[in-house]
Formats: sequence, C-alpha cells, structure tokens
Amino acid sequence: MVDKLNIPPAVYMMHRRQFMMGTVGALAAFGGPLSAFAVTPAADAATAITPATPLAVLPRTSQLVLGWSITSPIGVTNPWAVPGYTHQEGNALMWEPLMYFGIFKDSYIPWLASSMEYTAKDFTALQIKLNPAAKWSDGKPVTSKDVVFTFEGQMKNDKLPYHAAFVQFVDTVTAADDHTVNVKFKIPAPRFKFEVLCEKFDTGIPIVPAHAFDGQADVNAFAGGVAMPHSGPYDLVAWDANQKIYNLRADWWAIGAGLMKLPDVKRVIISNLGGQVGQNMDTIAQRIVNNEMDSALDMRSSVIGNILAKNPKITTHTGNKSPYGYLDWWPNSLWMNTQVAPYSDAKVRRAMSLAINRDVINDTLYEGAKIATIYPFPLYPGLQKFVDSPEMKALEAKLKPGLFDLAASAKLMTEAGFAKNGKGMWEKDGKTVNCTINGFEGIHSDIVPVLVEFLLAAGFDAAVNFGTNAYQNMADGAPGLYMFGHGASLKDPYAAMELYHGRFSNSIGTPAGNNRFSRYKNPAFDAVVDAMAPLSSDDPKFHENAVKAMEIYWTEQLDVPIIQWLHRIAYNQTNWTNWPTASNAAMGTNGAFWAQSGLLVVSALKKA
Amino acid sequence: MILRLILRRLLFLLVVVWSASSIVFIIPRLSKTNAIRERFAELSRTGGFSPADLEKIIASYTTQFGLDEPLWQQYQKYLGHILKLDFGYSLNRYPMTVTQVIVTAIPSTLGLLFVTTVLSFLIGNLLGALSAWPKAPRWVRAIATPFVLLTGVPPVIMGVLLLFFLGFKLQWLPLGGAHTIGIVPDGSFSSYLDLFLHLVLPSLALILGSVGGWVLSMRGMGITIQGEDYVNFAEHKGLTAKVIFRDYYLRNTLLPQTTAFALALGTVVTSAVVVEGLFGLPGIGQALNSAIRSNDFPVIYGIVLFITTAVAALMVAMEFIYPLLDPRIRNQ
Repeated sequence: MVDKLNIPPAVYMMHRRQFMMGTVGALAAFGGPLSAFAVTPAADAATAITPATPLAVLPRTSQLVLGWSITSPIGVTNPWAVPGYTHQEGNALMWEPLMYFGIFKDSYIPWLASSMEYTAKDFTALQIKLNPAAKWSDGKPVTSKDVVFTFEGQMKNDKLPYHAAFVQFVDTVTAADDHTVNVKFKIPAPRFKFEVLCEKFDTGIPIVPAHAFDGQADVNAFAGGVAMPHSGPYDLVAWDANQKIYNLRADWWAIGAGLMKLPDVKRVIISNLGGQVGQNMDTIAQRIVNNEMDSALDMRSSVIGNILAKNPKITTHTGNKSPYGYLDWWPNSLWMNTQVAPYSDAKVRRAMSLAINRDVINDTLYEGAKIATIYPFPLYPGLQKFVDSPEMKALEAKLKPGLFDLAASAKLMTEAGFAKNGKGMWEKDGKTVNCTINGFEGIHSDIVPVLVEFLLAAGFDAAVNFGTNAYQNMADGAPGLYMFGHGASLKDPYAAMELYHGRFSNSIGTPAGNNRFSRYKNPAFDAVVDAMAPLSSDDPKFHENAVKAMEIYWTEQLDVPIIQWLHRIAYNQTNWTNWPTASNAAMGTNGAFWAQSGLLVVSALKKA
Repeated sequence: MILRLILRRLLFLLVVVWSASSIVFIIPRLSKTNAIRERFAELSRTGGFSPADLEKIIASYTTQFGLDEPLWQQYQKYLGHILKLDFGYSLNRYPMTVTQVIVTAIPSTLGLLFVTTVLSFLIGNLLGALSAWPKAPRWVRAIATPFVLLTGVPPVIMGVLLLFFLGFKLQWLPLGGAHTIGIVPDGSFSSYLDLFLHLVLPSLALILGSVGGWVLSMRGMGITIQGEDYVNFAEHKGLTAKVIFRDYYLRNTLLPQTTAFALALGTVVTSAVVVEGLFGLPGIGQALNSAIRSNDFPVIYGIVLFITTAVAALMVAMEFIYPLLDPRIRNQ
C-alpha cells in the first residue's frame, strides 16, 4: 500500500507490535472491572437460578403466566430477608400462614392452624392448634417449634416487619405440645390474631421452618434460594433477570388434608415486566390481549377498558362492566403535615375538602361508579356494617364530609385569614397555599391531575410532583399534599383511626413513622382510640368510640379522603377460569395473585 | 517509549476514574431519599403494606451499612472499596450485592446496545461513504435517504411504533423480554435464536434512528474529501475505483468517525434506560434507573463507575487504533 511505502518496514512492524501491546493493555483495563466484579466476594444471593436438569416441557394450558415487575434480589425466598424479600413476586406461593382471611366472605380460612382462639375474655391469651397434616417441602412436619421460632424471631429481630407488633403485645410464646402453641399477651390484643397471624392482602406473617435457619449467623442476609424448605405447593425452580418459574409439588400437604384439590396449574411463571410496578402499561396490555399472559398487575381505568375491548376472553372482577375492579384496602387521601402552617389549621384542611367534587371524579374516571370516598378505610363487609349504622348515618348527615361547595370553602379560607391575590390564589403573609400533590405516576396519573384542577379552581396553589422525591417528601413532612393510601382497616375502623394517634406524631425534622404522614396530635382523639384498642369490634363500647373518632376525623379533617382504591386486574380466560370475581367469590379472598392470599387464587384456577 | 505512552494513558484512566468516583459519591448524597424507605414505599404502593416499625428497620440498616458515620469516613471507605472493586450491598435489594446487580444486568445491555451501536456505526458509515461516492450505484444512494429521514425519531417512539405494528398487530416478533416466557436459556442454538428474535425489535428501534446520523456525517466528510489533491492524484495514477474508495477515501474519512464512535459508546446507557424499559429488558439501564429512583447509591456508584471505566478504557484503546488508521499519527 502506498502509505506503507513511506515508512521503513521495521518501523511499521514495530508500530504494529506496539499497537497490539497497547490494545491488549487497554482492553485489559476495560475488561478488568468486569472480571473483577465477577470474583468479588458476594452475599448469599445469586445472579441466576437455573434448574440442574432441563425443565419438563408442559403445554401452555398447564402453565399460568403472570406479569409483574420483579424487583427483589434473585434467589431471595426467605421471608426474613428484609428488605429484599417480597411475597408479591411469586414467593406467596411458597409460604403459608396459620390462617387466611376471606375478606369478601368476612371469614377466617384455617390453614396451618386448624384453630386459633382467644382463651381469655380480655384477649390476653391465645391458643393455636396446628393442623397435624401440615408438612414442609422436605417432608418434615410443621410443629409448634416452628411457630415458636417464628414468633420469637419477630420479637427479637428488629429488622422484621412485625417486630413492633410482637414487642408491643406478646409476652410469652410456649409450645404445649407438638401441635399446640399458647401465646400470652402483655395487654389485651383483640386484633392480633387478625392483623398479624392471618394473611390477607399484603399483611400477616407466614410461618417459617426453624430447621432452615440452623447455622445462619444473620437470618436477614440469608437468601433462602431453592433449597429452603417451605410449606406452600410451588417450588422455585428457575429465576433469572427475565422470569421466575415455580413448579407444582404434587405432595403438597393441603391436598391430603382435604383443604385443596390438586391444582390444575402445574407451573407458574412470573414474567418480569421490568422497571417499576406501573410502568409500560401499554406493552403489558398488548401482551395480555395477545394471550401471552394470563394476568398482570392492576391497570388504570383507560387501559383496562381497551384490553376488554380487544379480547372478549378477558374479564375483570366486575366482568366487562365498570368499575372493572374490586376494592383494595388502600383508600387514598390527600394527606398533609398537620403540624405545619397552613395545614395546621383545620379550616384550611376542610376548605380543601370542600373544593373536591367527588361526583365529577366518579363520572370522569369511573364511568359513574361510586369510587370517590369520604372514609379512610375500604367498605368491606365489617366496615360497611359500621358506616351503615344509624349513629354513623346521623353523623354523616350532620357533618357532610363529602360536600362540594366552593362558597363554603372560600368562607373558611377567609376565616383562616387568607385573601385571594391577583391570580385568584389564596394568600396570607405573601404566601399562597402550597398544594403541590406528591404522588406516583404509575398509579396516580389519572386522578392527581383532576385534583389539581379542583384545587386551582378553588384558589389553592396546586401542582403535580411525580418526582423521585415524592415519597421522601411525605416522610419528611414537606409542604404540600401527599396522595397516598391507608393500608390499615379491613374489619373495623380501629387500624385506620390508629394512624392518627399522637404516639405516631413525629416531630418536624424526623421522618413520619410508618406512613403516618398527618402527624396529628390531639389528646382527646388519642383517648378515644385508646379506649377502642382493648375492645373487640362487636363490643358496643367499641362502636361508640369508633363513631366519636370518626367525628373528630371529619370535623378536624385529618386528611382529605379522595377515592377507594381499586384493583383493576385483567383475567384472561383463554387458558384459565375460576378467577375470583364479584359473581364468583371463590374462597372470599381478593383476586390479586401477588397478595399474601395469592396462593389460594392460583391453586383454585381451573383449566379452560 | 511505548511503555511510557501506555503508562501515561493508564494514569489518565486512573484520574478519570477517581474524578468520576468522587463526583458520583457526592451527587446521590445531595438527595434525602432513603433507599430502604423507598423499598418499603414501593411495596406499599403495590399492596399497601408497610411494616409497623419501618423507621426502626431503616435505623438498623443505616447502622449496619455505616450510613450514620461522618461523610468523609464513608468517602474513605468508599475509595478503599473501589480499589477492591467491591461496592458492597444494594440498599434497596439487600442482600444482593452491587456486583451481582451488575453481573445480572450487563449481558442484556452488552448484547443489545453494544451490538446495535457497532452495527449502526458500520452500516451508517458505509452507506454515508457510498452515498457521497460518485461512482457508487444509484440504488445504494437511495437506501441511505430513508435512514436520514428517520434520524429525528427517538428510539422510544420508534420502539413504540415497531411494537405496535410488528409485535402487536402483525405478531411477527415478540412484544418484550429477552426470551420466550417459560424458556430457560440453555446455550443451545434454539435458545440463541429465541434471544435473537427478542432482540430484533429493540435493535431496530436503536439502529433505524441512529444510522442516519452516521450517514449524514460520513457523507459530509466524503464530499469534502472528493476534491482533495491526493484523491485526484490517485485517480490520475490509474488506481482502481475500489482501491481509491477503500484506501484514500474511506480511510481518510474514518478517523473523526472513530472518535465519534468512542463517544457514542458513552451514551449507550442513556439509550439503555429508555429502550430496556420499553421492551422489558432487564439490563444495566433498568438497574441504573431503579437505583436512581430509589437513591440506592451503592448501585449507582457501581454502575456509573463501571461505565466510566469502560468508556475511558475504550477511549484509550482508540488512541492505539488511530495509528493503524492514520499513518501520520504513527509517524509522530
């Protein structure tokens, strides 16, 4: 070549070697990080779980494909591996509780425990009788030792989710025999059995096998993996960045015990949708419509309507009619930090509520279905009974908590010392009312913009913040409003009311504990809630105090209730039927496969 | 001399890595977002559950991870860990380590984005050079035009269109994921074929939108070179069109393009965040996106430094490639 002729061959060759050396050096530098990363000592988690032998090929009609954004670390099946573990990505199929609770039937479903009864009238003692047929996947029986280990673990380990509840209530846990456990409480605990020991929605604890933790120095760092014994019917067999695969274990103890029939679903595949839950809903909808998936996460109203229109085999909890979903336990309010002005003024809070037109919300977002709410709890059977009581009806008529009245709103703002500025915004001391709504795009993109318009129309300086700092703002009590749910009451109003108890009212500068964003402090309210605590929900005194608490909730407008939360889940009936719906209560649980009770949903499905 | 050059370049690499690691250490610390709290918030949003003693759990992990120590102490430890290439645990995905997060995510990104960037470069430059080469057939020049028109279409829009028409409507290609649901890749031909089919749409989304850029820049340079004396001289020497195109024309236009290619590799992750999200590919972009959203700073450190080091190393490698492409540099 011409250019080569200009250079002495020796020099040219030298350069070529130099080039090779240099390139190798540079590539070593480039490859170094990769190879070094691969050998860095790692935690007890994996980068992929692959079956030792190829998985048996099963027809599509035996496989259930569920779409979800898998966010937990690969290999984590241990419920105590906090915060990596979640039951929501298939792990609920491996673990079982003492009892489930069928919310739509308002009844307990005995499981690992055949009975669980309070043995003291003041709810200070509980006796648990285990189902003698219950077995772990390694064939060992589920015994009292496992229950005691589980409970004592929660008591001793401050990283476990129910540590606070166990420390607050439980005095001792003793095994009377292999199948009987006695729990002694420090104080009356009428809701402990339901709130902690029963699994429903996303709460309650599974029982873990004591022998699986033998030799584990740090139970929170123990991933569990495929080898961890479990009592549920599905074994984790594969897990990579794209999916998790669970195979049915035909010797599941619940079949022999007569609790369930052999499930039709032989394999469950959780397909990773990527990103965070709620992202890329359009692509997910397409994959359901094309029968690639049998179900996926809950959808926004616009998406679910389109899915139903595209594939007649797909239904929802309410068939193909609005509102397409069932009530979740997470009714959303506009929360605010009640310790900071101007939100510290109940008149301002009430004025905001008066600016919200709940009828318009129902019409525009839910095709007329009554989803907008005035309560901080979902209207499940027990709570519906409570709000239907004459006392509550009278209170509601008196206080009109759902009223939309811009004139009344303006009057309250004027009384609170505000005046409208040139832009029509309420202003005091040169400051408008910061009503920036912190929320989450994936789940709030339909409702929050509507709320912003309501607030702006009433003179509140509203905007949207779907940024990554939204949740931290809520925890920090930053100025603005917080769109968030109440994961609290299911059977009676106690848990929802407890969210506003003064003991959770952290001072400014410290994070709001446990989603108690209002930081409300009122000794009179606390006294009412304290009076409710030791009483069963069927006690007349409990009802009386619950009504008083609701009176303060509405009068003081502790937050602004907006909507009941719906789970609008698409159920593809092409391959699977018997999804729990309004017309098919099944076992009474909610129809979310990702919930703690998802095992009951999956194992009851029938081949189409 | 060559050793000195290599050492100088490696020193440069070290300075780049140190600077990047220091900057990347500080930026996430400016945010108050707590990764452990975000993890529970994430769970809370999907099911409403948040542990009763959330703050206690957060405090416990804060101590375990040393996040309550003074910042300068954390920085010292951090630099020490970097030397060992150990970024510890992901705060948001504990007990997974940062290394595991990266090792899990990197194959998907390398497989898709590295290959598509290389393909875009090769196709775009070849088409660009040919479209400016007067002796090239007309049909070759015609091919280049549509790519130029697609230059303004961002990969995400292209992806949505491809997904809707080729994936959803025509059902020719998969709608997402890296392989067919339920198939566990086993290294067989069929599993590679499956992977290939799943990567076609995301690859097209990236290639269709980026080839045009290479075409335009290469074409511009090609036109400039056409009037150069050495090209005229070569023609008058009677060299064949093929030789002139390859050795005089293409070679002279390639140098700035090679620099641009190295820089383009640095933007691979930007594309990854968008395209991987759209196509449900669990790659490094998704991992970084999640880490930033939850302020999982050990993961941010790990990924950003990995990319910084890789790109800086590539730039150094480029310097060794230049002499091969341009003899003038060799002579220097």
